[in-house]
Amino acid sequence: MKLAISAAAVLLIANAASAQTLDDLKNDGKNTDNVLTYGMGYYQQRYSRLKEIDKTTVKRLVPVWNLSLDNQWGEQAQPIVYNGVMYVTNARATVAIDVGTGKQIWRTPVDWLPETTRVVCCGVSNKGAAIFNGKIYRTTLDAHVVALDAKTGKEVWKQKAAEWKEGYSMTVAPLVAEGVLITGISGAEFGIRGFIDGWDAETGQHLWRRHTIPARGEKGNETWPQDNNAWEIGGGSTWITGSYDPDLGLTYWGIGNPAPWASQSRPGDNLYTSSVLALRPKTGEIEWHYQFTPNDPYDFDACWELILADMDVAGVKRKVMMQLNRNGFLYVLDRANGGLISAKPFEKVNWASEINPESGRPVETEIGQKLRAGEQVEMWPSTRGGKNWPHAAFNPETGLLYANTMHRGGIYKHLPIKERIVGQRYQFIENRPAPVAAGEAIAHVDAIEPLTGKQRWRTPLFDHPHWSAIVATGSGLLFTGKETGEFIAIDADTGKTLWQFQTGSGINAMPITYTHNGRQYVTVLSGIGGLWWNAAREQLKNVPQGGSVWTFALMPE
Amino acid sequence: MPPWAAWATILACVAAAVESARPESVTAEQVQAGADIYERNCSPCHGPRMLDPQSAFNLRNFPPDQHDRFVTSVTRGKNQMPPWGDMLKPDDVEALWAYVLNGEK
Repeated sequence: MKLAISAAAVLLIANAASAQTLDDLKNDGKNTDNVLTYGMGYYQQRYSRLKEIDKTTVKRLVPVWNLSLDNQWGEQAQPIVYNGVMYVTNARATVAIDVGTGKQIWRTPVDWLPETTRVVCCGVSNKGAAIFNGKIYRTTLDAHVVALDAKTGKEVWKQKAAEWKEGYSMTVAPLVAEGVLITGISGAEFGIRGFIDGWDAETGQHLWRRHTIPARGEKGNETWPQDNNAWEIGGGSTWITGSYDPDLGLTYWGIGNPAPWASQSRPGDNLYTSSVLALRPKTGEIEWHYQFTPNDPYDFDACWELILADMDVAGVKRKVMMQLNRNGFLYVLDRANGGLISAKPFEKVNWASEINPESGRPVETEIGQKLRAGEQVEMWPSTRGGKNWPHAAFNPETGLLYANTMHRGGIYKHLPIKERIVGQRYQFIENRPAPVAAGEAIAHVDAIEPLTGKQRWRTPLFDHPHWSAIVATGSGLLFTGKETGEFIAIDADTGKTLWQFQTGSGINAMPITYTHNGRQYVTVLSGIGGLWWNAAREQLKNVPQGGSVWTFALMPE
Repeated sequence: MPPWAAWATILACVAAAVESARPESVTAEQVQAGADIYERNCSPCHGPRMLDPQSAFNLRNFPPDQHDRFVTSVTRGKNQMPPWGDMLKPDDVEALWAYVLNGEK
């Protein structure tokens, strides 16, 4: 008996040391000391019930430490926090930090050839790590998946997902579901055929690959031309981490735009581009799909966060999934079967008049017809979308989505399609921003009703869109950041900015909030980079590069 | 041949190459080849037809007397621009140069 007790004790200790079990991941948010998943919970609500920092106390919010990340390429990641250690990634390194002191514990560099950035369409970055069973997982720009020992930063395994010279790259944060490490891929702008991979988290063994474009003979391939190879080079990237419902046993991944952007070579719906796939984590088997933008000629990539919630719909509690789609519509789907519950515009849309509630398909206006006929159009939203990737938050108490949206049209035209050259751009479009009317905002922070798309409030932005995710708290605050460097706290009831702090470079990352030694902390990465910086470098010339981690807490009274 | 003589030969060749890429000596085919390379690989950052270079150097303002700087930047990369030397052959880079100087005039 004594022996049995000792064995149990040893097991307990071993468990505590390695930890981040599947239950820990599933319960992320319940232990507020940890942030273990992308989106602060498998549902990706980016909501914390913490209330110490509120509308009154936020004026005492001050930095407790800052750590340089020694990186010029831009910071986009969401940090992971476990047992007082923070794990941060960017394109150049993985870093472990002592949450109490802000001191670096280890730093493991990531190396890739300088030519690799040729196949990165929209910013050299990394969206963050995953944690499971004593290991930190990340992807690399040159399309590898790496497992590091969480204690030492030493490599445990490394696997090549694809060949960067063929246009494949990786910035996505991995997801661990049911013990399987799941990763996506980038490269639709280079004519890849997208996929989602499942890996054995322990050994790195490749378990499955779900191509986002079905092969000849598979269901869905009939939505591609049968007399050319468009399906083999048809895009469908998966560059934002999927969400996961442990009860339904489904992981949900948004699928990106088809390739090339010009659509002449690929008549048909082009499944599963610009869609969502519900997959079984252990096998990659498709449970259901829903396509937002059939035969997408607009670059209406559907990779954005898929926020899960249990919500009253006409008096019935429904398991829903929400997406503020790039195409300007806010979709609410039944996440058990992919049925459409509602799809309402949340921004100015001129390419479609509505989403047909029966068929779930957009009713296209003449914009799409003109575009497909080779004419130049002024398109709303622009190819950058009514919202880009910076993730929205959902507060289950208020039932509202909080999002950094964009209000900008594009002057857009298809060009004749030429043969694909491996590793080179495969888009064939002319794409320029539409002029902005005097006094018109180019972006907003919005509080949005999921089922109507209506704004409860909207705060206009005139200089730059916010290119940072939002975190909502139980105390009625929103945290987000500005390209000009300010980290800000917003009143979730009014949209008014209550507090701000200049972080020294632009913010285009994902804040988190958690507790350390009983105090509420807020952390965000600063370091300008990514798509908006690419678009507005001249206007942002006085915002210096350079990545760092900022952590804030209330100054004691 | 002493080393300085070899260098002189190389320099003479480089000078000849520069000479041949001058605006007055480029061919329409060269400009078109440069336009094709530009449209596919360069326009995403430098803007369609070198208009609206939102993120990158405005190539319409590239100094026409700095051929070597252009070739070096394209071949080896500069700032946020990756190196293209392993993908674009010297003739391709010269075609690009011909396009940058003459293509949208």
